[in-house]
Amino acid sequence: MRIRAALATALASAGILLAGWQSGAHIADTGTATTTSLSSATTSDKSSTGSTTAATYDGASVQTRFGTVQVQVTIQDGKITEVTALQLTDAERKSAQISSRAAPALRSEVLQAQSASVQTIGGATVTSDAYLTSLQAALDAANF
Amino acid sequence: MGTVVSLTVASDTYADTAVDELESAVDVVEGIFAHLDLTFSLYRSGSEASRLARGELTLASASETMQDLYAEASEWRLATDGAFTAERPDGTLDLSGIVKAHAAREAALSLGALGLRNWCLNAGGDVLVSGSPGPATHEPWLAGIVDPLDRRALLGAFPLQSMKALATSGSAERGDHIWAVGGAKPEFVQVSVAAADIVTADILATTIVAGGTRTLDQAVEKWNVAVLAVRPDGELLATPEFRTAT
Repeated sequence: MRIRAALATALASAGILLAGWQSGAHIADTGTATTTSLSSATTSDKSSTGSTTAATYDGASVQTRFGTVQVQVTIQDGKITEVTALQLTDAERKSAQISSRAAPALRSEVLQAQSASVQTIGGATVTSDAYLTSLQAALDAANF
Repeated sequence: MGTVVSLTVASDTYADTAVDELESAVDVVEGIFAHLDLTFSLYRSGSEASRLARGELTLASASETMQDLYAEASEWRLATDGAFTAERPDGTLDLSGIVKAHAAREAALSLGALGLRNWCLNAGGDVLVSGSPGPATHEPWLAGIVDPLDRRALLGAFPLQSMKALATSGSAERGDHIWAVGGAKPEFVQVSVAAADIVTADILATTIVAGGTRTLDQAVEKWNVAVLAVRPDGELLATPEFRTAT
């Protein structure tokens, strides 16, 4: 299954790990670290001749309720030219599972999205521990 | 543990320039969050907030930022009939409920000052955007919302257009860090609020988790916000903005 991303621009994304004022459990772990998930492809694809080669970047595999999801991004001339799902569960199975939830009518009324179609993930306060296994981390790694 | 901040910048310049833009933007945003953390963390014994909490410092002699945020928190306390409060049950001053959103608001100002128009800032699950992920297309940034009952799946999505901020509060990630009014068990495990500004979104999300259905109804009536709330059994309450157009 392939998803073509018609993005006309270069997206670059970075995750910053910060000590939080809301977290109290680990006082020792309050250092500030920056993980900049810039794809090497975006910095190496400019060549002096003007012709550029495409580079691909694999996102981390993410376990979801519907199976493993992994995306690959192709970057050419500093632009995302293609987003390919390396592993993506099929949509039918997804909708079937959603409609079997406790409140199917309401749940099906909410705007739905697959993780590959969103640029960011909102949720109750995400800690650095949770971040590393989160969908947002996969999105950041894939430079969405 | 700590709060994770991620920044995505959409740029139509060359890749090298875009990388430079992003790196300066990250430096600025990191500086803002780090500085506010030093001031407001109650887990740093030497922070201004800790000195205030121990009574070594009075509010009158505190920094202007501290006084301003306390004043803002007090206004929200009045506006929410006491459901939002900057004081812990034991009376300790705690501005944690507002400082993260304040940091995001400050970061937005700085990103604008850097000349960046198209970006998405995610601070610990609270999202603030500007412009579009594809400036030429003017499509809105699309934020997925985590399913609190299965944190590796998405509950839904919200396009950030006129409402540029989306904040989510709940008890799923860090235990029950929000005290419900009257000590009752929270009616919602997760509440997402979209609003024009991040402070309103963040405070109302926290307040609705604390105050339950009644507070949700009041908030929707009083402020121009969109709300998606999840009950412990998975049942959803959603305002029209969160529903699929039919």
